[in-house]
Amino acid sequence: MVLRLVEDIGGCVQFVGQVFSSVRHQKVSLHSLVDQIWNVTVQSMSTTSIAGFFVGAIMTVQFTMQIQEFGALAYLGGLATSGTIREVGPLLIAFMLSGKIGAYTSAELGTMRVTEQIDAIRCLGADPIKEIIFPRFAGIVISSFFLLGLGLVMSVWGGLFMGMFFSGINMDEYLRYIPRIVNWGSISGGLFKCFVFSVVLASICTYKGYTTRGGAKGVGRSVVQTAVASMVGIVVADWLTSFLMDVATQIYLGV
Amino acid sequence: MIQFKNVYKSFGDKEVLKGISFEVKKGEILFILGTSGTGKSVLLKNIVGLLKPSRGEIWVDQQEVSRLTERELFPIRKKCGMVFQHPALFDSLTIFENVAFGIRRHFQWGLEEIRKKVQECLKAVHLGEDIELKKPAQLSYGMQKRVSLARTLAVGPEVLLYDEPTTGLDPVTTNAINLLIKELSEEFHVTSVVVSHDIQCALDIAHRIIFLDQGQIIEEGSPESIMKSSHPLVRSFLEEVV
Repeated sequence: MVLRLVEDIGGCVQFVGQVFSSVRHQKVSLHSLVDQIWNVTVQSMSTTSIAGFFVGAIMTVQFTMQIQEFGALAYLGGLATSGTIREVGPLLIAFMLSGKIGAYTSAELGTMRVTEQIDAIRCLGADPIKEIIFPRFAGIVISSFFLLGLGLVMSVWGGLFMGMFFSGINMDEYLRYIPRIVNWGSISGGLFKCFVFSVVLASICTYKGYTTRGGAKGVGRSVVQTAVASMVGIVVADWLTSFLMDVATQIYLGV
Repeated sequence: MIQFKNVYKSFGDKEVLKGISFEVKKGEILFILGTSGTGKSVLLKNIVGLLKPSRGEIWVDQQEVSRLTERELFPIRKKCGMVFQHPALFDSLTIFENVAFGIRRHFQWGLEEIRKKVQECLKAVHLGEDIELKKPAQLSYGMQKRVSLARTLAVGPEVLLYDEPTTGLDPVTTNAINLLIKELSEEFHVTSVVVSHDIQCALDIAHRIIFLDQGQIIEEGSPESIMKSSHPLVRSFLEEVV
């Protein structure tokens, strides 16, 4: 089992290397790239919005319970938004994308593999990695930033809604400390995590889809493996990025 | 034109091709027959480098293809077009875009030239221009197979490799596809290698037939000599048509 895991990770890393080297000397079709970005963004917009709204609401409820006994409810908006940007937002977007786009991409590529469409691309003189993998890979990574932005806006609305009806503070109070608490450090941290998670997801779902074997059953197996591996990969990447960001902050502050 | 020299192919412990040697001459229609799982499709995929042999040599027009890289295989794949068992059309593209796919990658043509070539290829497989804007899912399976053939023809191959072109088709469409293979061979002077189970069609249109069993050639010859074969497997195939 360990050997298979190492083999899988090695195969995936090698595959990502192939994805980037395929576009080094060849022109990528801008049309298919934009098409993929559009597809991923539009397909995930509604779920990301709904999830973002409720994450903001949950964060507000949790922070309210913690800080109201200290009389610090004025900081509620800032703390909930900061927490969402730094941690919950990127993680949530990655999970949303994993469930929807990750599984979809893996199934789509797997079907293309078992119905010989990928072999047909090779036979017609094209590179399937450049033609179909790179646009999907880049589409997931770029879209995740748009979706992160959307999710964060919705989380502020969700937090505000809950702040007004549950915590009893008004809009001005909720928004007042957001600019002070949400600094460039938290924004860049959130963006960095978002980038890492989307790369992990894009790598796993394209690799699993592209290497599908064995008909319809193989496609099903690839989708399940994508779901499991991407969830685990994202959580591990979250730990790793949190650790690295903490080390970087300590170095920056000279602690 | 195509030469197999003692070719072996294994997947893990399983040896699928065991010392295959044969030759395909220019302009010939060669049928490769055999039961399922005997390595017929594997043999075909080795010609265009979709699979690499474990041992042996495969020559296409004085070039040994088994050691070539993906980039070096580019001209071989232009020369040898492959029609897959599944239509393998790209679902997200229209029929026009599917047929034009190879043309755009091999030639620097303008839209008008591409359009003319696409129409010519669709006509060659007896399909009209009215399907150009449709998606593959809007066509019947038989029509998809024809489009797949048109897409392969569009690149102008000298050799056509057919992987079970009539599998899953009704008898009428099967007959039409078989006639098309013969027509294309005569009209475009292409060399054809057809992997099939269809002994009747092989006897009707092949110049030569090879029987494959357990990864080995068990019989080889013209349709007339195959008819006289005493090999039990060949006889059981022939019983179907007698």
